[in-house]
Amino acid sequence: MNSSQEHSAFYEHFDRHAHGKGLKGASTHYCPGCGHGLAHKFLSDAIATLGIQDRTVAVSPVGCSVFLYYYFDVGNTQAAHGRAPAVALGHKLANPDSIVVSYQGDGDLASIGLAEIMHAAQLGVPITVIFVNNAIYGMTGGQMAPTTLPGQWSTTCPNGRGVMEGAPLKVAELIAGLDGPIYVERVALFDQRRRKQAHKAIEKAMRLQVEGRGFAFVEVLSECPTHLKMTPEDAELWVKDTMTQTFPLGVLKDVEREPWFEGPRPKFDAPQMMKLVGAVSVDDPMPRFGGEFPVHLDPEDVSLKLAGAGGDGAQTAAMLITRAAIREGHDATHIPSYGPESRGGTSYADVHVARTEVLSPGAPTPHVLVAFNAPSLTKFGPTVRKGGVIIYDSSVINDVPPVREGVRAFGVPCAAIARELGVPLVKNVVALGAVCAASRLLPDEAVLTALRHALKDKCALIASNEAAFAAGRAAVEAAG
Amino acid sequence: MTTVKERTKPVLLPELCKGCGRCIEACPKHCITLGEEINQTSGLVPVVIDYDVCNGCGLCISACPEPYGLTADGYELEDPAKLFGAAPHHGRTPAAIPGRAIPLPKSEPLVLKGNYAAAVGALLAGCRHVFGYPITPSTEGAELMASFLPQLDGAFVQAVSEVATVNHMYGCGGAGLPVMTFTSSPGLSLMLEGISYMIGAEVPAVFINVMRGGPGLGNIGPSQADIKLLCRGLGHGDTNAIVLAPSTPQEMLDLTIEAFRLAFLYRNPVFVAPDGYLGQMTGRVQLPDHMLVPGIPGWAVYGDAAHRGNLINSIHLSEADLEKHNEKLQAKLARITANEQRSHTHRADDAKILVVAASTPARMAKSAIEHLRQEGVSVGLFMPVTLWPFPIDALRPLMAHVEDILVVEASAGQLEDELRLAMSHADLGGARIHHLRRMGGMLPQEPEIRARVHEILEVTR
Repeated sequence: MNSSQEHSAFYEHFDRHAHGKGLKGASTHYCPGCGHGLAHKFLSDAIATLGIQDRTVAVSPVGCSVFLYYYFDVGNTQAAHGRAPAVALGHKLANPDSIVVSYQGDGDLASIGLAEIMHAAQLGVPITVIFVNNAIYGMTGGQMAPTTLPGQWSTTCPNGRGVMEGAPLKVAELIAGLDGPIYVERVALFDQRRRKQAHKAIEKAMRLQVEGRGFAFVEVLSECPTHLKMTPEDAELWVKDTMTQTFPLGVLKDVEREPWFEGPRPKFDAPQMMKLVGAVSVDDPMPRFGGEFPVHLDPEDVSLKLAGAGGDGAQTAAMLITRAAIREGHDATHIPSYGPESRGGTSYADVHVARTEVLSPGAPTPHVLVAFNAPSLTKFGPTVRKGGVIIYDSSVINDVPPVREGVRAFGVPCAAIARELGVPLVKNVVALGAVCAASRLLPDEAVLTALRHALKDKCALIASNEAAFAAGRAAVEAAG
Repeated sequence: MTTVKERTKPVLLPELCKGCGRCIEACPKHCITLGEEINQTSGLVPVVIDYDVCNGCGLCISACPEPYGLTADGYELEDPAKLFGAAPHHGRTPAAIPGRAIPLPKSEPLVLKGNYAAAVGALLAGCRHVFGYPITPSTEGAELMASFLPQLDGAFVQAVSEVATVNHMYGCGGAGLPVMTFTSSPGLSLMLEGISYMIGAEVPAVFINVMRGGPGLGNIGPSQADIKLLCRGLGHGDTNAIVLAPSTPQEMLDLTIEAFRLAFLYRNPVFVAPDGYLGQMTGRVQLPDHMLVPGIPGWAVYGDAAHRGNLINSIHLSEADLEKHNEKLQAKLARITANEQRSHTHRADDAKILVVAASTPARMAKSAIEHLRQEGVSVGLFMPVTLWPFPIDALRPLMAHVEDILVVEASAGQLEDELRLAMSHADLGGARIHHLRRMGGMLPQEPEIRARVHEILEVTR
């Protein structure tokens, strides 16, 4: 190994470049005069200087620098067109100690990948983006880029970029305008002074990441003599005299920020996991209340429909029945059917309680219907099975359509009772009390235990909920 | 005392010089000029250095875009006689860091919505990195992760789009960690490019695709109309991945855990594909007896010394290389097809009519079959759990007595197409194939299944 190797992050031999055969094992695939090689060298120097070669992950884009991974002796990932910042973020969060650099061209970053770079930059997680802007698509052969200058010729703006092709996108300015990034600079490669500045900027952008300070972005104005159809020397002059008019060089943002990034460092702890998901050990069992399967309703599978407007609490009541039934040792399911609105639309809940296994989770012909409003009663009343039960809110439903023979209907003033209790939201719990009284689906205590469990963080509400349940039961019993 | 610092002069390897001339204007001594002779090895015209004038300032080296063009002390090109020989290998052997299992105490069953069950499954499988974009009816999964992962010191990132989501996953999965997302049909469409990259680059990841009504924006009702996309259309190229069809909240958890195992076993994305009903349905869920702590595979681009030489990549410029890579991928898919077919049956051992259905329609069918058996109808259920690979090996023995197949599904025949294709490849025929299809966010209902079986009986009697 020679000394230039020790001071670089390049492979000593480019095995991935055409299998390392011939001269390709030692030279890049870039055209003569291309700026990518210099940007690569500066990045390589920065990696070596900062001593981060083992930790670095380089994300190659789609474009001329797609083969970045041929050259850099670091962890390498090749990304889809424009998505390198998204991929880089995935790497950084996977291993916060890794140093992740997204190296992209102008078509990749400024056109197809604009959403990804903006999002990554604004997020501000410390990654480094090297953005090589040569004002043209190189790999596909000289098409217009978002950074192509006004009047500049390309194969897809053969008359020069005009008003219909829009104005060039000033990406560094765009990124600097965001709150997320801490460092944004535009540099160039056309003379010794600018190269030194570019070298410095890339090293700084990497160092800010190493120090965990934030997102850094370096735009490198680069020459593409091949597609500008110029000599390398003229291309340098063009960048110097013409390109910098549109893309002025300099630091666009440089914010002092204390190191902050710790990154996710996951924990794997069984008791914590059990607690988080609400699992209770069998050694500490939940109480059961001896609820036999309600065979008086159905030998195998009882279905309920709870229907009302969004906000009536049909889903919560359905969930409580489901939880109570499962705790009593039955199988149970709950499936909601919402209207498109979060509140005020229709809200139906289908519940099944089965002796062994719920098969069809929908309840097109329920044994029990709870209707919180008139349209729900009109719509689902006729679907209730013979021998079934209907609970409807008699405080809001005045005209009760005739129910089929063998179905018992109980008008319970759910909303009115809840208002009297001072907690209008508990009208669904009034209905639950009524369901238990009228259908004997589950023991009261089973439902009340599920209710108390659901309110464990709002203990002050337990008393009014218990009162609501009792009132619902009393209303049914009074109706005989 | 003055010391004269000795400066080494630049070494130019003419074969590696492309003659761009950047060094010419960089040289303050004007001792570099464009050459005139074509280099016989490179076919290019290298620059020429006048070493008598050169003072070894080194500015030309910093101006040279080639890593080994101009160097301070030379670069040893390999022996030209061996230049076109076999590719040398300098790679180190990357280290795999093993994962482990942590026992969980036996617990009371949980009552969980399907989406939550899948999320809990992912956490138990060791997943601590979740990326996603909100889309109904899958959103609860992302919401639970956003709430739980910070408590577990993991990461949930709401991506800017599904396109970004799949690429966050590509990065994180490429780093060797378990990664997942929740999405629904339109979101899956957007992710397909990234999924093709994942399959090409052999990146594991788990997708929970809670299928909703389409095409287009469609609606948020339950559907199975992504089966074609999942089984036949995972982006460009010859792509396939295991597609698991759960039918209960319990299976939402179990199959999500299994999806992570399979994703890492085969280094390929795995899809869990419930209909929208299963995402929204709450039911009984029993936790397993252990949870997993992920390791880091040897192939991962983790960003540490143990994995430095690795590459996650789907570009293979040489057609011969890419064909070879495809052959390797296809061999893997063939192994999956041979080893990972899964299915359930119910009363199918002697059935003359076989209902084929997956997910919620399969539950409906099971209920219908119970009723029909009581009526004395010889009917059973075949329920694919892997939609890809289609579990044809388990179907084959049933075909000895099955005369009619009824495919019940919430799509315009996408499951039936998978069945027909698998039967055709397996040279299985003889049975008449009927169907019961609902679309647009509607599921086939149990009474419809019973009625359809009766129709088949009428026609075939």
